[in-house]
Amino acid sequence: MAAVHGDAHGHEHDDHHPSGIMRWITTTNHKDIGTMYLWFSFAMFLTGGTLALGIRAELFQPGIQILQPELFNQFTTLHGLIMVFGAIMPAFVGFANWQVPLMIGAPDMAFARMNNWSFWLLIPAATLLVSSFFVPGGAAAGGWTFYPPLSTQGGLGVDLMIFAVHILGASSIMGSINIITTILNMRAPGMTLMKMPMFVWTWLITAYLLVLVMPVLAGTVTMLLTDRHFGTSFFNAAGGGDPVMFQHIFWFFGHPEVYIMILPSFGIVSEVIPTFSRKPLFGYSSMVYATASIAILSCVVWAHHMFTAGMPTVGQLFFMYATMLIAVPTGVKVFNWTATMWRGSMTFETPMLFAIGFIFLFVIGGFSGVICAIVPIDIQVQDTYYVIAHFHYVLVSGSLFALFAGAYYWIPKWTGRMYNETLGKTHFWLSMFFFNLTFFVQHFLGLAGMPRRIPDYNLQFADFNMISSIGAFGFGLTQLLFLYVMINCIRSGEKAPQKPWDGATTLEWTHLPTPAPYHSFEKPPVVQ
Amino acid sequence: MSNDTVEKQKVATVWQVAKAVMFAFMGIRKKSDLENDAATLKPTQLIVGGIIGGILFVISIMLLVRLVVS
Repeated sequence: MAAVHGDAHGHEHDDHHPSGIMRWITTTNHKDIGTMYLWFSFAMFLTGGTLALGIRAELFQPGIQILQPELFNQFTTLHGLIMVFGAIMPAFVGFANWQVPLMIGAPDMAFARMNNWSFWLLIPAATLLVSSFFVPGGAAAGGWTFYPPLSTQGGLGVDLMIFAVHILGASSIMGSINIITTILNMRAPGMTLMKMPMFVWTWLITAYLLVLVMPVLAGTVTMLLTDRHFGTSFFNAAGGGDPVMFQHIFWFFGHPEVYIMILPSFGIVSEVIPTFSRKPLFGYSSMVYATASIAILSCVVWAHHMFTAGMPTVGQLFFMYATMLIAVPTGVKVFNWTATMWRGSMTFETPMLFAIGFIFLFVIGGFSGVICAIVPIDIQVQDTYYVIAHFHYVLVSGSLFALFAGAYYWIPKWTGRMYNETLGKTHFWLSMFFFNLTFFVQHFLGLAGMPRRIPDYNLQFADFNMISSIGAFGFGLTQLLFLYVMINCIRSGEKAPQKPWDGATTLEWTHLPTPAPYHSFEKPPVVQ
Repeated sequence: MSNDTVEKQKVATVWQVAKAVMFAFMGIRKKSDLENDAATLKPTQLIVGGIIGGILFVISIMLLVRLVVS
């Protein structure tokens, strides 16, 4: 029967959209799932941001005013976990869901149902993380790195965090398997690997890194769990274990994780810069090679996070040299972006502003990273605000700015409407100003010796902390402007032209109408 | 004759793979060389080459470190 009615039924099925909430719960459409990932990550971004504002409110003045030390520690821990696993990573997966099929000419992701499951796993994980504040003993408070013995001693909140990390890891692994399979098997005829857009390349390499390291993280938290409840002593010195081993295993995951959060940003910036410079990307092949090189090197540098944990000089020097060598392929990338802009017909719409802001500030974060890689300096700045400043330059003005660039760049394709350019530019300049106000001064605080993860400080740090807190509240409120710009665009933005960016050359702009239809590339395009 | 040429190319690929991997580690590649690589090298060769390259990279830094501390 099915065979007889196959055609008609199949066609009917194509046009059938469940409506209301069921559309979103049952969807297997990459665009719907991408949209859900993006809204989810923005909600998590606001949640993690609220925690950050709690931290900065407490640090506005010396002394304890708002948060007791226990709650302060919970705020710092959950701020890190939510931003890393709930905001930045899902946001990039959201971009991958929307853009990878559109950019390679595929009709959808390879495993559409698994894609749905990857997203919906995030909701219980996020619920566990946020609700852990309300269990006896409160949320995990040992820092986002959950080092033992703090994490083996914590209360129920730590167990909820472990479970959440397990679920998030499973979601990430499924997402990356999906992305790898889609890219390797579903490219349009004629799109060889070396013709793929850079965003697709960076996600391919990122997905491999995820498959490599997420099981390591899952193993680490499982060992933690058995140490806590099943009598093992992996990380307990009294039972013959070793807490430093935890740090090695965690950072074997943790350092590639840093690159998991930055490589897709490189991809977005590598799409935006050529479009608004109206020139092809300079050194495309070297960009691919540099991305692969960064990914490989990222797996042999992990112990630079633990120079003060006790390590032979030979080990310190090895990790110092290997870390500093990462600056070479990263430098190649920055050179290529700059060379792409060189003599281009540049215009400065909001996505381009965020991309240039990314390059400018990411380079500062990169250089402070090289400074932290030097062992004698790292021993001085370890666990100070210098490190906080360094990684926020990489993750906020790096990853987050690239996400903003990508959102402004592709929102016309997603919604068929233009955002308000003046408000977009205002969002950029306010973000730029308040970001630097918040984090640049933290370099000085760190060099002067202010430790991280402490709710109180000496009077000598008061002025810079006050400046940093004012900047943080400004930055946080500015992101509500982004929310307004996006909602305004979706609800009442001007109708977007077919190709709003005349320099865009990738398939989603050249081969699809704007907005992209619900089902796209049912017949694959042929790439010349 | 053409078969012979293909055979010769296959024999020459160890150095070619090594060169491609070394350039990948630096993150630089000339376009003409890249096109040549894409035409002649297989992905498996590159993956094996990359792993060997990675091991050699680690060994060379270790040797450098030993030289420095000795």
